[in-house]
Amino acid sequence: MSATLTDKPTGTGTSRRLLRGLPWLVVRQHRIALACVLGLTLLTAIWIVYERHNLVQLLDAKGWPEKDAGQPLENNRGYGYITSIINGLPLILAVFIGAPLIAGDQESGTAQLVTTQSVSRRQWLIAKLGLAYTLALVSGVVLSALFTWWWKPYRSLFPSEWIDGLIFDNTGPVLPAFLLFLTAAGVTIGVLVRRVLPAMVGAFLFTAMTTLFVWDEIRVRIGVTHMFTYPLNSDLPERFNDAYEADRWVGSADGTLYNWGICAEATEKAQNSCIKEHGIVNNVIEYLDYSQMGTMQWTAAGILLAGTALLTAFTLWWTSRRPL
Amino acid sequence: MADTSTPNATSGTWALEARDLGKRYRRGWALRDCSFRIPAGRICGLVGPNGAGKSTLLGLATRQVRPSTGGLQVFGVPVDDPGVLPKIAFLGQDKPLFKRFTVAETLRMGAELNPDWDAAAAHRIVRSGNVPMDARVGTLSGGQRTRLAFALAFGKRPELLLLDEPMADLDPLARDEMSTLLMAEAVERGTTVVMSSHMLTELEDMCDYLLVVAEGRIRMAGDADALVPAHALVTGVSHDGALPPELDHHTVIEVRFLGRQFHAMIRPKGPLPADWEIAEPSLEEVLLSHLRSPDAPSLYTQGARVDAEGTQAA
Repeated sequence: MSATLTDKPTGTGTSRRLLRGLPWLVVRQHRIALACVLGLTLLTAIWIVYERHNLVQLLDAKGWPEKDAGQPLENNRGYGYITSIINGLPLILAVFIGAPLIAGDQESGTAQLVTTQSVSRRQWLIAKLGLAYTLALVSGVVLSALFTWWWKPYRSLFPSEWIDGLIFDNTGPVLPAFLLFLTAAGVTIGVLVRRVLPAMVGAFLFTAMTTLFVWDEIRVRIGVTHMFTYPLNSDLPERFNDAYEADRWVGSADGTLYNWGICAEATEKAQNSCIKEHGIVNNVIEYLDYSQMGTMQWTAAGILLAGTALLTAFTLWWTSRRPL
Repeated sequence: MADTSTPNATSGTWALEARDLGKRYRRGWALRDCSFRIPAGRICGLVGPNGAGKSTLLGLATRQVRPSTGGLQVFGVPVDDPGVLPKIAFLGQDKPLFKRFTVAETLRMGAELNPDWDAAAAHRIVRSGNVPMDARVGTLSGGQRTRLAFALAFGKRPELLLLDEPMADLDPLARDEMSTLLMAEAVERGTTVVMSSHMLTELEDMCDYLLVVAEGRIRMAGDADALVPAHALVTGVSHDGALPPELDHHTVIEVRFLGRQFHAMIRPKGPLPADWEIAEPSLEEVLLSHLRSPDAPSLYTQGARVDAEGTQAA
């Protein structure tokens, strides 16, 4: 009898049952969002491979690095679009995946529907967060790996410095960590607000604030800066071409540092007498070296992952102590 | 009488057992000092005005809400134990379902999330209402959606089914259909049902056990068959607008004056004066007077009350 019942056209043929239980439910519920993000990731990935291929061919034709290849990525539309997509990904994940993840079910009451089946609230939340975080991680790892693969061998040709958000945040471990953190932030905002639209607005504002202002301040403070002193009338050695100059002074022979513009006088004469008066003989720069990038990126990823863990713990705690 | 169907103190035969149960929200107590029992296998009506604490009580029993004080047991299992979940099914007021799922997918959700899923029963309930399997839930009518929600609830094979005003938004035909379905399924499996409702006639037809809540406290609990005969509707002559002293011997629920006459809903505690006109009230009348007079002393029939130690009170 039970055999005939399972034969009924319920759309649950055993061959299609790759996913069971809660994973099936969350994938089914979010399948459109899932397909969109994965599709966008795949498209961008293919595009990066294509653009890199183009770049390699162009450089081969020009005989790079023996000969100067100019700035092939300056005003390059492909590069522009790809970096826009990758830069927009945190926003997409926070606003369209994170914010409605729990808030959507709270608003429509389906949170109640699921948690009155034979699964506990915590199991359900973990399945939901698992889906969103997996998506963020997959998307982040794939795009970051490809973008790093494109950028690293040809970094001198890229219009942005390594410390710029465009490179630093989109390569290595930073991009996946960033996506995880902002997804978690979106989820947390959604859980607090309990309504989809306000949660999406909140997640949008939070992401905009974080990516446009806050993170720019944090990024350059992650690394430990070094000082380099060189004679006043000489040029900065070439090995600092890649370094990020955090600050610059002028200094006297005894090591006293003065504000860089201290002797910016109207006439050269006045300037020279000022330099003499203070005994200024050196230029001093405070810098972050390119060799620090790896450490800085892992530190940044660590900070973001710690933030993700905190937000996740808060979400689980907050939702356990009040009705969904 | 009713006592024969009331089980003894062995907790397994109580579907729901509350001890000093209370829930406090920021604005105050939604439910306070609730101690009661509901025997297994009964259809229990949960009655009370809006905001009385009915939804909070159902929320506590379905783990949506955590109690501030006291505890609740479902078939002897504390409600904070996740093992309670397979025993209960809940049908909320707005019967939330995933609108983009098809009917088949909704039933598959039931199968995926419940270990004891009864696909045959769920399909039977859906099919008997001619609900198309491949239709999206969002396109179903209110009655069809309620039927699907019922199928999900009964497919779970719950021992205790909790319903929060399940028929409120249905047309009379669908309501009749759903009541019949509910009664048939519940009786067939011996499912205990606790349903809140504002339809007193609906309760009178379906329920054999009652829980009356007002202002966050239990007003009455027990067999419907025993609660009603405990009351009498008396009419007599008032003494210059004051109640006759004879009334003091009885528990007065509600009094109304009509000219020189008074009408009172009382719980007699002894013989009544011969010159009073005595009538047996209907369940609806008893419920209405209790709802109008939330300060009246509460009434528990035998077995329905639990004191703090958990022993059965007289």
